[in-house]
Amino acid sequence: MIKWFIIHQFKQSFRSTIWQKNLIINIILGFFVFIIILEVLVGGIYLADKWQEIFPDSDPVSKFNGFIGYYFAFAFILRFFMQNVPVLTIQPYLHLPVKKSSLINYVLVKSFLNFFNFLPLFFVIPFAILQLSQFYPLSTVWVWLLSIILLVLSNNLLIVYLKKQLVANSKIVAFFGLFIAALLLLDYFKLISFSELSTAIFGHIIEYPYLIIILVLIMLSIYILNYFFLKSHLYPEEINIKKEKKTNAITNIKYLQTLGIIGEIIALDIKLYWRNKRTKTIIYMTPIFLLYGLFFYPQETSSEGFGFLIFIGIFMTGGLMLNYLNYAFSWEGRYFDYILTSNIDAEKYIRVKFIISLLVCTFSFVVTIPYVLFGVKILLINFITFLFNIGVISFVLLYNATFNKKSMDLSKGATFNYQGMGASNWLVMLPVFLLPIFIYFPFNYFGVPYTGLIVVGLLGISGLLFNKSILKIITKQFYKRKYKMAEGFREKG
Amino acid sequence: MIEAKELTKNYSGTTVLNIPELKINKGESFGLVGNNGAGKTTFFRLILDLIRPNSGGVWINNKNVAKSNNWKLFTGSYLDEGFLIDFLTPEEYFDFVGNTKGLSKGDIDDFLKTYKEFFDGQVLGKKKYIRDLSSGNQMKVGVAAALMGTPEILVLDEPFNSLDPSTQIRLKNLLRKLKTEKQVTMLISSHDLNHVTEVCERIVVLQEGDIVHDIKTDKDTLKELEDYFAV
Repeated sequence: MIKWFIIHQFKQSFRSTIWQKNLIINIILGFFVFIIILEVLVGGIYLADKWQEIFPDSDPVSKFNGFIGYYFAFAFILRFFMQNVPVLTIQPYLHLPVKKSSLINYVLVKSFLNFFNFLPLFFVIPFAILQLSQFYPLSTVWVWLLSIILLVLSNNLLIVYLKKQLVANSKIVAFFGLFIAALLLLDYFKLISFSELSTAIFGHIIEYPYLIIILVLIMLSIYILNYFFLKSHLYPEEINIKKEKKTNAITNIKYLQTLGIIGEIIALDIKLYWRNKRTKTIIYMTPIFLLYGLFFYPQETSSEGFGFLIFIGIFMTGGLMLNYLNYAFSWEGRYFDYILTSNIDAEKYIRVKFIISLLVCTFSFVVTIPYVLFGVKILLINFITFLFNIGVISFVLLYNATFNKKSMDLSKGATFNYQGMGASNWLVMLPVFLLPIFIYFPFNYFGVPYTGLIVVGLLGISGLLFNKSILKIITKQFYKRKYKMAEGFREKG
Repeated sequence: MIEAKELTKNYSGTTVLNIPELKINKGESFGLVGNNGAGKTTFFRLILDLIRPNSGGVWINNKNVAKSNNWKLFTGSYLDEGFLIDFLTPEEYFDFVGNTKGLSKGDIDDFLKTYKEFFDGQVLGKKKYIRDLSSGNQMKVGVAAALMGTPEILVLDEPFNSLDPSTQIRLKNLLRKLKTEKQVTMLISSHDLNHVTEVCERIVVLQEGDIVHDIKTDKDTLKELEDYFAV
């Protein structure tokens, strides 16, 4: 039976339209994965090699063991939010004479093949080779490695279990979240110590290798826990993501109603964002996104030119808009036929996209004003890039969006979800980020950087002034592309 | 009122629809039947300017649908779930559609009251998004939305599909009423020969993209169609 599952799974992934049509995206993704693995591996080798220099006054093995506890706490939180729970689409098998147990075992074992499970190995193995093997016999090194793998797998199974429980019984998950938070707090206030705890655990395992049986038992018991939970919940409606039973009342905002049909479409877009899983994840990630500045600005303010700051400015004040406009029409792919047959005027429809971008950009600009603390020139550049974003880039994106004919599946989360993204959505990033810098650079070269900034800003303002005519051009383009778009959107998936 | 001329549509070399000439008069109830792949939905999509014809076109009131938007004002349509905004509640969807058709809040409330029986207590006030409704109830929402603002032209693709028996009968009565009282021009496709002969006064049979029959409905029509489709 398992053989069939594996064959079906392969067919599913290789026949999915994403794989067939988006070679470029797959290459980019593969490249990212490769880079991440490479970075971890190089980091792992470097640390293992220089360990004695970095932590000179402690025993390297127990010091490393101490970090493992933190790693698992951190990985647990990260994975809880990032990891997609693998589900074999079980529905087509349920009415067939297929043993439930083989279905469940397949789902669970498959979850081991997760990227997150392999990543720590690239870090741990160099340490085992370069450090541990210097102090202990090979068999102990194997036991140590095996115990880490067992913990990684336990962690994985626990995530699967909790994510499933999130559907069935969210209280358990809340309880667990509180438990982890409490542990971290206790550690922070030095009431207990993660590092001592994990040093002790792994120290004991190194000393008494047979203790690894405890870790085996832990993993097995979580496996069994999962197994029975899935067995008693093997109904599609219970196993899959909870359908939203309640409706949320975004009561029509009074002001929007006074705007007539334009207000209606704006309200529709707000509901679209608020009521679909994929778009909602984007909303939730917005604060994190806006905090990126903390990453860049502290280092950049000292530099002389504005080039890189312009790049960041475009990103900070336009990132949200980029996400919205890049898929301006494919967000609505599922009901695009309705849009086309309805009495909504295409020009107004496109104007709404522009108005929303204006609001989103303004929001981003206002929220990033506090970064002025890192220097007044950040505020200046963000204002300039804000103008450029809304007056030039918005139109570029909107025009480009007419080339995207893949409907977005909104029911899945946004992390690691590249469904519906096309090559054009990636390629447009180039002009978005490079255009303002290209305009600015000649001026910088001739020693008049501020003139360069003013030119960039003026381009934005003129785009704003001529928005009516530019939107007309985009509407024309929309009419030209609408059949192609509608046809693409009708092919779901 | 609706006119198709030299209308063809090809997909990768094969002709899926070829209608040299077809006229549908005002107030006519026009039924479209045919097996899967006969071109029914393609024809409706061409009428609604959702796909581009390879040649010819469709004219509503002597205006090419691809070149004018005017027809949208008085044409109600429902082909498939692609017409529903699935993250809205039915009430919100009706509000939105009503608004695009220029109805006031009062008009919309009146409309919903009239269709209370049609919804059969299954659609309104359930606090559910359209995506969480059953396919039958989604069909009710789509058909009702197409009827908002009393359109002059109504295009429905297999409206009897997935409806329960009571609603099928209600829909038939409703369509007959619209025809006699409001002279709505109706284009309805169906796999169910019974329904379509009951509602439509003219039936066109499509086969592999060609019109093979164009008949006025009388008491023998059903028998005739059954003979035609019998294998």
